[in-house]
Amino acid sequence: MLVFTRKRDEAIMIGDGIEIRVLRTGRDGVKIGVTAPAAVAVHRREIYDLIRAENEVAARRPHDLQQLLARLCGQSKSSDEQ
Amino acid sequence: MIQPTASCPSRAPLTVRTADIARLEPRSDDVIAFPDGLPGFEECRRFVMSSDGDHPFQCLEGLEASSPAFVTIDPARVLPGYRLILSPVDRRHLDAREEDPLLWLAIVTVNPDETATVNLRAPIVINPRLMIGFQVMPHDCLYPLRHPLSI
Repeated sequence: MLVFTRKRDEAIMIGDGIEIRVLRTGRDGVKIGVTAPAAVAVHRREIYDLIRAENEVAARRPHDLQQLLARLCGQSKSSDEQ
Repeated sequence: MIQPTASCPSRAPLTVRTADIARLEPRSDDVIAFPDGLPGFEECRRFVMSSDGDHPFQCLEGLEASSPAFVTIDPARVLPGYRLILSPVDRRHLDAREEDPLLWLAIVTVNPDETATVNLRAPIVINPRLMIGFQVMPHDCLYPLRHPLSI
Protein backbone atom coordinates (compact mmCIF):
# COMPACT_ATOMS: atom_id res chain seq x y z
CA MET A 1 0.00 0.00 0.00
CA LEU A 2 1.21 3.47 -0.83
CA VAL A 3 1.05 5.80 2.13
CA PHE A 4 0.99 9.59 1.81
CA THR A 5 0.94 12.39 4.31
CA ARG A 6 -1.50 15.05 3.15
CA LYS A 7 -2.61 18.32 4.69
CA ARG A 8 -5.94 20.04 4.22
CA ASP A 9 -6.61 21.00 0.57
CA GLU A 10 -3.85 18.72 -0.66
CA ALA A 11 -4.71 15.93 -3.07
CA ILE A 12 -3.60 12.69 -4.63
CA MET A 13 -4.03 11.83 -8.31
CA ILE A 14 -4.76 8.30 -9.45
CA GLY A 15 -4.07 8.06 -13.15
CA ASP A 16 -5.00 11.30 -14.86
CA GLY A 17 -8.71 11.22 -14.06
CA ILE A 18 -9.18 10.53 -10.38
CA GLU A 19 -8.42 13.03 -7.67
CA ILE A 20 -8.75 12.43 -3.95
CA ARG A 21 -8.60 15.61 -1.92
CA VAL A 22 -8.50 16.16 1.83
CA LEU A 23 -11.18 18.77 2.53
CA ARG A 24 -11.17 18.84 6.29
CA THR A 25 -9.59 17.00 9.16
CA GLY A 26 -10.94 16.67 12.65
CA ARG A 27 -10.98 14.46 15.69
CA ASP A 28 -13.99 12.48 14.44
CA GLY A 29 -12.83 11.87 10.90
CA VAL A 30 -11.41 13.17 7.68
CA LYS A 31 -13.60 14.71 5.01
CA ILE A 32 -12.47 13.59 1.58
CA GLY A 33 -13.55 14.75 -1.86
CA VAL A 34 -13.32 12.34 -4.77
CA THR A 35 -13.39 13.52 -8.37
CA ALA A 36 -13.64 10.69 -10.87
CA PRO A 37 -14.94 10.04 -14.39
CA ALA A 38 -18.62 9.05 -14.57
CA ALA A 39 -17.66 5.52 -15.55
CA VAL A 40 -15.79 4.98 -12.28
CA ALA A 41 -18.01 3.89 -9.41
CA VAL A 42 -17.15 5.42 -6.05
CA HIS A 43 -18.59 3.88 -2.90
CA ARG A 44 -18.01 3.79 0.82
CA ARG A 45 -16.17 0.56 1.36
CA GLU A 46 -18.38 -0.71 4.19
CA ILE A 47 -21.57 -0.18 2.16
CA TYR A 48 -20.12 -2.01 -0.81
CA ASP A 49 -19.06 -4.90 1.42
CA LEU A 50 -22.55 -5.17 2.96
CA ILE A 51 -24.22 -5.29 -0.44
CA ARG A 52 -21.70 -7.80 -1.76
CA ALA A 53 -22.24 -10.05 1.25
CA GLU A 54 -26.01 -9.86 0.80
CA ASN A 55 -25.69 -10.78 -2.89
CA GLU A 56 -23.57 -13.77 -1.95
CA VAL A 57 -26.21 -15.04 0.48
CA ALA A 58 -28.98 -14.44 -2.08
CA ALA A 59 -27.17 -16.15 -4.98
CA ARG A 60 -28.24 -19.65 -5.97
CA ARG A 61 -27.19 -22.14 -8.57
CA PRO A 62 -29.59 -21.78 -11.51
CA HIS A 63 -31.05 -25.26 -11.09
CA ASP A 64 -31.93 -24.54 -7.45
CA LEU A 65 -34.06 -21.58 -8.38
CA GLN A 66 -37.34 -23.38 -9.05
CA GLN A 67 -37.23 -25.02 -5.65
CA LEU A 68 -36.57 -21.65 -4.04
CA LEU A 69 -39.46 -20.09 -5.93
CA ALA A 70 -41.79 -22.86 -4.80
CA ARG A 71 -40.87 -22.12 -1.20
CA LEU A 72 -41.33 -18.38 -1.66
CA CYS A 73 -44.69 -18.85 -3.36
CA GLY A 74 -45.78 -21.07 -0.47
CA GLN A 75 -44.85 -18.24 1.91
CA SER A 76 -46.66 -15.60 -0.11
CA LYS A 77 -49.80 -17.75 -0.29
CA SER A 78 -49.88 -18.28 3.43
CA SER A 79 -49.43 -14.53 4.00
CA ASP A 80 -52.35 -13.90 1.58
CA GLU A 81 -54.54 -16.14 3.67
CA GLN A 82 -53.80 -14.33 6.89
CA MET B 1 -41.76 11.27 5.02
CA ILE B 2 -38.24 11.84 3.89
CA GLN B 3 -37.70 10.58 0.38
CA PRO B 4 -34.56 8.53 0.09
CA THR B 5 -32.41 9.74 -2.70
CA ALA B 6 -29.38 8.57 -4.49
CA SER B 7 -26.29 10.70 -4.69
CA CYS B 8 -26.17 14.30 -5.82
CA PRO B 9 -29.42 15.46 -4.24
CA SER B 10 -28.45 19.05 -4.86
CA ARG B 11 -28.57 18.60 -8.60
CA ALA B 12 -31.89 18.33 -10.35
CA PRO B 13 -32.50 14.63 -9.97
CA LEU B 14 -33.81 12.75 -12.93
CA THR B 15 -36.60 10.44 -12.77
CA VAL B 16 -37.40 7.07 -11.95
CA ARG B 17 -40.24 4.73 -11.37
CA THR B 18 -42.45 2.69 -13.45
CA ALA B 19 -45.58 0.89 -12.49
CA ASP B 20 -46.09 -1.34 -15.47
CA ILE B 21 -43.47 -3.95 -14.82
CA ALA B 22 -45.07 -6.58 -17.04
CA ARG B 23 -44.81 -4.37 -20.08
CA LEU B 24 -41.10 -3.79 -19.49
CA GLU B 25 -40.05 -7.32 -18.74
CA PRO B 26 -37.63 -8.64 -21.30
CA ARG B 27 -38.27 -11.96 -22.97
CA SER B 28 -36.37 -14.82 -21.44
CA ASP B 29 -34.14 -15.16 -24.50
CA ASP B 30 -33.05 -11.54 -24.31
CA VAL B 31 -29.66 -11.04 -22.78
CA ILE B 32 -29.28 -8.17 -20.33
CA ALA B 33 -25.78 -6.73 -20.12
CA PHE B 34 -24.36 -5.83 -16.70
CA PRO B 35 -21.08 -4.13 -17.65
CA ASP B 36 -19.87 -4.10 -14.03
CA GLY B 37 -21.36 -7.42 -13.01
CA LEU B 38 -22.90 -7.38 -9.54
CA PRO B 39 -21.01 -6.79 -6.29
CA GLY B 40 -19.51 -10.15 -5.39
CA PHE B 41 -19.99 -11.37 -8.96
CA GLU B 42 -18.09 -8.78 -10.92
CA GLU B 43 -17.20 -11.24 -13.69
CA CYS B 44 -20.85 -12.08 -14.46
CA ARG B 45 -21.74 -9.64 -17.16
CA ARG B 46 -24.68 -11.29 -18.95
CA PHE B 47 -28.01 -12.29 -17.45
CA VAL B 48 -31.39 -13.46 -18.67
CA MET B 49 -34.64 -12.82 -16.90
CA SER B 50 -37.71 -14.99 -16.78
CA SER B 51 -41.03 -14.98 -14.99
CA ASP B 52 -44.47 -16.46 -15.21
CA GLY B 53 -47.79 -14.96 -14.32
CA ASP B 54 -48.48 -17.16 -11.33
CA HIS B 55 -46.33 -15.30 -8.84
CA PRO B 56 -44.74 -11.88 -8.48
CA PHE B 57 -41.13 -13.07 -8.74
CA GLN B 58 -38.62 -13.04 -11.56
CA CYS B 59 -35.57 -15.23 -12.06
CA LEU B 60 -32.36 -13.49 -13.03
CA GLU B 61 -29.80 -16.01 -14.21
CA GLY B 62 -26.20 -15.41 -15.15
CA LEU B 63 -25.15 -16.93 -18.46
CA GLU B 64 -21.52 -17.74 -17.84
CA ALA B 65 -20.53 -21.04 -16.31
CA SER B 66 -20.72 -20.91 -12.50
CA SER B 67 -22.72 -17.70 -12.70
CA PRO B 68 -25.25 -17.13 -9.93
CA ALA B 69 -29.00 -16.96 -10.22
CA PHE B 70 -31.26 -14.69 -8.20
CA VAL B 71 -34.92 -14.37 -7.40
CA THR B 72 -36.12 -10.80 -7.72
CA ILE B 73 -39.31 -8.84 -7.19
CA ASP B 74 -40.60 -5.38 -8.06
CA PRO B 75 -39.64 -3.35 -4.97
CA ALA B 76 -42.86 -1.33 -5.21
CA ARG B 77 -44.77 -4.57 -4.77
CA VAL B 78 -42.97 -5.18 -1.50
CA LEU B 79 -43.18 -1.59 -0.27
CA PRO B 80 -45.86 0.54 -1.95
CA GLY B 81 -44.51 3.98 -2.72
CA TYR B 82 -40.95 2.70 -3.02
CA ARG B 83 -38.98 5.26 -4.93
CA LEU B 84 -35.30 5.86 -5.59
CA ILE B 85 -33.91 8.72 -7.58
CA LEU B 86 -31.07 7.91 -9.91
CA SER B 87 -28.24 10.39 -9.93
CA PRO B 88 -27.25 11.80 -13.31
CA VAL B 89 -24.10 9.68 -13.12
CA ASP B 90 -26.09 6.49 -12.51
CA ARG B 91 -28.45 7.43 -15.29
CA ARG B 92 -25.51 7.77 -17.63
CA HIS B 93 -24.49 4.20 -16.73
CA LEU B 94 -27.74 3.09 -18.32
CA ASP B 95 -27.47 5.56 -21.18
CA ALA B 96 -31.04 6.39 -20.23
CA ARG B 97 -32.95 9.10 -22.01
CA GLU B 98 -35.37 11.22 -20.07
CA GLU B 99 -38.32 9.32 -21.46
CA ASP B 100 -36.91 5.82 -21.01
CA PRO B 101 -38.97 3.81 -18.55
CA LEU B 102 -36.71 1.81 -16.27
CA LEU B 103 -37.24 -1.60 -14.75
CA TRP B 104 -36.48 -1.98 -11.05
CA LEU B 105 -35.81 -5.30 -9.38
CA ALA B 106 -35.02 -6.04 -5.77
CA ILE B 107 -33.06 -9.17 -4.96
CA VAL B 108 -34.79 -11.66 -2.66
CA THR B 109 -32.65 -13.45 -0.08
CA VAL B 110 -33.79 -16.69 1.51
CA ASN B 111 -31.71 -16.81 4.65
CA PRO B 112 -30.31 -19.94 6.26
CA ASP B 113 -33.11 -19.77 8.86
CA GLU B 114 -35.63 -19.87 5.97
CA THR B 115 -36.84 -16.31 6.46
CA ALA B 116 -37.02 -14.30 3.26
CA THR B 117 -35.91 -10.71 2.95
CA VAL B 118 -35.71 -8.22 0.11
CA ASN B 119 -32.81 -5.93 -0.61
CA LEU B 120 -34.42 -2.51 -0.98
CA ARG B 121 -31.14 -0.75 -0.21
CA ALA B 122 -29.44 -1.64 -3.49
CA PRO B 123 -31.92 -2.55 -6.24
CA ILE B 124 -31.07 -3.61 -9.75
CA VAL B 125 -32.13 -1.15 -12.42
CA ILE B 126 -32.42 -2.05 -16.10
CA ASN B 127 -32.94 0.10 -19.16
CA PRO B 128 -35.12 -2.19 -21.31
CA ARG B 129 -34.49 -0.13 -24.42
CA LEU B 130 -30.79 -0.98 -24.37
CA MET B 131 -30.98 -4.15 -22.23
CA ILE B 132 -28.34 -2.85 -19.88
CA GLY B 133 -28.43 -2.87 -16.11
CA PHE B 134 -26.51 -2.48 -12.88
CA GLN B 135 -27.03 -2.64 -9.14
CA VAL B 136 -27.61 0.82 -7.72
CA MET B 137 -25.79 1.62 -4.50
CA PRO B 138 -27.03 5.05 -3.48
CA HIS B 139 -24.76 6.91 -1.10
CA ASP B 140 -27.66 7.87 1.12
CA CYS B 141 -30.59 5.53 1.22
CA LEU B 142 -33.12 4.95 3.97
CA TYR B 143 -34.43 1.69 2.60
CA PRO B 144 -33.23 -1.46 4.35
CA LEU B 145 -30.87 -4.09 3.06
CA ARG B 146 -33.10 -6.78 4.55
CA HIS B 147 -36.73 -5.88 4.37
CA PRO B 148 -38.93 -8.79 5.51
CA LEU B 149 -40.76 -10.31 2.55
CA SER B 150 -44.48 -10.01 3.01
CA ILE B 151 -46.53 -9.72 -0.13
